[in-house]
Amino acid sequence: MTPLLSLRQVSKTFGTGPRAVDAVRNVSFDVTHGECLAVVGESGSGKTTLANMILGVFGQSSGEILFDGKGLPTRRTLEHRSAIQLVQQNPLSSLNPKRSVGASIRLGLDVFGIGTRSDRWRLVEDALEEVGLPGDFRRRPPAALSGGQCQRVAIARALACQSRLVILDEPTSALDVLVQARVLRLLEDLRRDKGLSYVFITHDLSVVRNVADRVAVFREGELVECAETRAIFEDPKVDYTRQLIGAVPVISDDELKLRESLSGGLPA
Amino acid sequence: MSEVLAIRDLCLRFRGYSGVSEVLHGISLDIRAGERVALVGESGSGKSVTARIVLGLLQELPSAQVEGGLFFEGEDLNRLSRRQWQALRGTSISMIFQDPTSSLNPVFTIGTQFAEVLRRRDPGLSREAADERAGTLLQSVSIHDHARVLGAYPFQLSGGMNQRVVIAMALANHPSLLIADEPGTALDVTVQAKTLKLMHELVEQSGTAVFFISHNLGVVREFADRVFVIYRGRIVEQGPTPAIFEDPGHAYTRALMAAVPRITGGGLPDLNDSETAFLEPMVVHEGGDA
Ligand SMILES: Nc1ncnc2c1ncn2[C@@H]1O[C@H](COP(=O)(O)OP(=O)(O)OP(=O)(O)O)[C@@H](O)[C@H]1O
Ligand SMILES: Nc1ncnc2c1ncn2[C@@H]1O[C@H](COP(=O)(O)OP(=O)(O)OP(=O)(O)O)[C@@H](O)[C@H]1O
Ligand SMILES: [Mg+2]
Ligand SMILES: [Mg+2]
Repeated sequence: MTPLLSLRQVSKTFGTGPRAVDAVRNVSFDVTHGECLAVVGESGSGKTTLANMILGVFGQSSGEILFDGKGLPTRRTLEHRSAIQLVQQNPLSSLNPKRSVGASIRLGLDVFGIGTRSDRWRLVEDALEEVGLPGDFRRRPPAALSGGQCQRVAIARALACQSRLVILDEPTSALDVLVQARVLRLLEDLRRDKGLSYVFITHDLSVVRNVADRVAVFREGELVECAETRAIFEDPKVDYTRQLIGAVPVISDDELKLRESLSGGLPA
Repeated sequence: MSEVLAIRDLCLRFRGYSGVSEVLHGISLDIRAGERVALVGESGSGKSVTARIVLGLLQELPSAQVEGGLFFEGEDLNRLSRRQWQALRGTSISMIFQDPTSSLNPVFTIGTQFAEVLRRRDPGLSREAADERAGTLLQSVSIHDHARVLGAYPFQLSGGMNQRVVIAMALANHPSLLIADEPGTALDVTVQAKTLKLMHELVEQSGTAVFFISHNLGVVREFADRVFVIYRGRIVEQGPTPAIFEDPGHAYTRALMAAVPRITGGGLPDLNDSETAFLEPMVVHEGGDA
């Protein structure tokens, strides 16, 4: 089957001359239908830059990005913009504080022409209910919601747009672990029920271990290792991957053992 | 040992369109010199507002009503003038805010903002000298191309680079109290480990007290001497770090521990939290505070 998303030799350089920064270098990978691919790695290694190219915020310097087997143009059609959605780290700043959360969700429906005009408020309420919030929350401003509730709204917005690929850039790192567990559960359920695919960017390797199908490890703009989650954690091939797993802060002795076996007793 | 920071029975209310909301219901907490104290708990439970109150920032908001004792190095902060309180910020007390990009000014380069921070302590510092000190500090948070970073605007840097800039700025003036609100969320784990080590060294060398807010319980276990757990504006458990992790006494603390995903796998945790149990009285573990 054609993968939902394919990157072929994608590079991005910011600026020119001696001040140029090669943020992403020759990166290739696929995301299949219904898959959760985790993207981890060094800070500044080009993960957000990669996400921005997939979303069409800016174009790649070279290489090709395919969606459903067809090349994605830099100027996206409405259809592409609704099919590929982003959920960001900071739930409060990604929602307009002056709008009710319902109006924020509805804006996408209006722009992408989803549903009929009279139907749209109902669709907004359905999306909220799908993420476990009461439909009448649509009247509230973001400031009247907790961090976890805002993050659910951001997910509801991506859902209402009938997206197929959701890019999650640190979706739960601003949340406490209880709320995080609920949001991750929700994401899992939605992936199963709707066949969504995720590109899950995060520094939290313990989360990755428990939700991702495959993991792509980045360093200095390059993809250094890409494999099934279990293989990455139990038998990493690349030293940098070992270092990463060896530095994960943990809370139990079992985890300490795994960490030490990988780092070969290196101090974290 | 003397207390660097003491918070006594802190209460906070916000007045809004929909009436008054009570956010803090009498928080007490103290931190001694050279001690690392973590505050962990629910999103929205009042961690960041507590930090902002210590800095005197929330008091400037007309809708916020703050009550309770605040003492810094034995001095009653509530008796300081606005100007005196402001003078403490960025020198004796420094803060790493939760959202690094919003605490940097988007229209100035990192170099300009860094010089401003260093001049708070050292008003006559030349720009060259400031850049040199900033370069060294950036190197210590694993930013090696510091010339590019000093010449860059925040939007030209990644989230984690901005966060490290903010951390380097907060350490620059050797504060007696460092308040760090989620300092590691945007960092990869190897850089995070180095940054924690750096804060650790600051504690050892200058006896800085660290007030550390985090959702990452692994980091808390490795970094903090004592832990306070907050739920809905109340401290529900406190004690030395090993006691909290080995023998969590409060239902909320236990639920938090159970929800931490493990690198050994096993899937997402089961959640069977009964919120009524979270309202039980505070559990105090003795030790570490005598
Ligand atoms: N608009 C821009 N102009 C110039 N350089 C940029 C720009 N955006 C990003 N960069 C540079 O590209 C590199 C990759 O940045 P990116 O934000 O993609 O990293 P990241 O992997 O998301 O890091 P983090 O984990 O810290 O979020 C960095 O060196 C950054 O300074
Ligand atoms: N300026 C304000 N006006 C009204 N309510 C506010 C204001 N600032 C914060 N609050 C409310 O105070 C409560 C505590 O907020 P705070 O930012 O301290 O949470 P937190 O514990 O830091 O949460 P998180 O872990 O999500 O950062 C929240 O319910 C928040 O909505
Ligand atoms: Mg990023
Ligand atoms: Mg906070």
